[in-house]
Amino acid sequence: MQAANRRKTIGLLMGMGVLMWVVVYAALTYFGGSGAGIVPIAVGIALISVWGSYYGSDKLVLTMTGAKLIQESDNPKLFDLIQEITIASGLPMPKVAVVIDDAPNAFATGRNPEHALIAFTTGILDVMDRDQLQGVIAHELAHVANRDTLVSAVAATTAGAIAIVSDMLTRMMFFGGRRDRDSNANPIALILSLVILILAPLAAVMLKSAISRKRESLADATAVSFTRNPAGLRSALEVLAADSTVVQQRSTAVAHIWIESPLDAKSVSKMFSTHPPIQERIAVLKSMESLG
Amino acid sequence: MELIIGLAVVALIAVFFISQYNRLIRLNITVDEAWAQIEVQLKRRADLIPNLVETVKGYAKHEQSTFDAVVTARAKATTATTVADTAAADGMVTQALRGLLAVAEAYPDLKASANFMSLQEELATTENKVAFSRQFYNDNVRSLNTAVKTIPSSFFAGFAKVSEREFYEVEDPQDRNVPNVSFN
Repeated sequence: MQAANRRKTIGLLMGMGVLMWVVVYAALTYFGGSGAGIVPIAVGIALISVWGSYYGSDKLVLTMTGAKLIQESDNPKLFDLIQEITIASGLPMPKVAVVIDDAPNAFATGRNPEHALIAFTTGILDVMDRDQLQGVIAHELAHVANRDTLVSAVAATTAGAIAIVSDMLTRMMFFGGRRDRDSNANPIALILSLVILILAPLAAVMLKSAISRKRESLADATAVSFTRNPAGLRSALEVLAADSTVVQQRSTAVAHIWIESPLDAKSVSKMFSTHPPIQERIAVLKSMESLG
Repeated sequence: MELIIGLAVVALIAVFFISQYNRLIRLNITVDEAWAQIEVQLKRRADLIPNLVETVKGYAKHEQSTFDAVVTARAKATTATTVADTAAADGMVTQALRGLLAVAEAYPDLKASANFMSLQEELATTENKVAFSRQFYNDNVRSLNTAVKTIPSSFFAGFAKVSEREFYEVEDPQDRNVPNVSFN
């Protein structure tokens, strides 16, 4: 289960690489040698923007979500639960933060386990019992253990680079940047590469979402390997599924980090969703319960 | 040319040896750390017991045999050193505490007291921590033992002075009960 999820993530990341390569090839076909110069620039821009936020992810997300760091004395019960999971997983104790929001939700971030941060909305702390909260904490620490901040940073970098490349090239097209206009290049190849350049960013976003969905399923499986109690996480997800309130701040930039997607499910189709359907996740956990 | 290839082969073999050796040492250290964690959590639980017994005594004076069972189990647990002894004493303490909490059920005043409720929460989290530290220890012992027994790492076990470790197995009579089967 966990191994299969990991393989699929690697496959999807390789899909990103292939897509990048196709884009570069299309650029070369369309623009000749001048198109190639764009690629390192685009990768450079994407790297700087994404890796800056990856390195400071714990601090950045705090400001973006309005989460406040808390100490053990602020909520000893929550800290006890988190300590339980750090013992089960062998991870260091993460920083803990609370977002004042009635919608039940939680997230984890940080560039490595030593800089991990997990945050909970006041809503989730109010509605969930011990076992449910334990399942949620295990899911969040599973993201930390699986280094999902790194995985999503890699995915975001490639998707970003692809978007920048095709954006720049489409602009160049409008200004008639094609140098070898008089050469006898195959017209079908030219049209094809144009279509690829236009569709590539869309495909990149879809791949990025698919990777995120795989990491969510993987985190559910890893969480169960920590707690050995699929029922806790399952009933927590049922609470989240039944709850219709949604985290107030709906910035798509940080949508993927929450345990339950903060975006309105109807507005995002399955292909672009950062999370697998919650009913599907519940069904998987139920099947684990019957195994144990 | 032959010299370079020869050196490369030697270097590769050296890297392989070192990584195998380091892996065994690392696994062994993780088991040590996991064991230390079990001891920390057991100590924490042992420290909670006198307070808990005193609190229950305040409301339920005629349950001497239950108190004795807890105190005896705790004494055994605090003196145990080997893995098997510690595990056996751990099982006894868990069992005795369960009895103590069952007694508390019969005293509504006790159950309602703030002191008892906070102790109960602390006991619940400590029991979980003990259970998780056991689980983490056993998982790591399993990886270590697999490495010690399987090729190629088994060749390096003697050299790294790493050997199989003992699992932490708690005898819990409740686990052996016939499970409830219901068809609905």
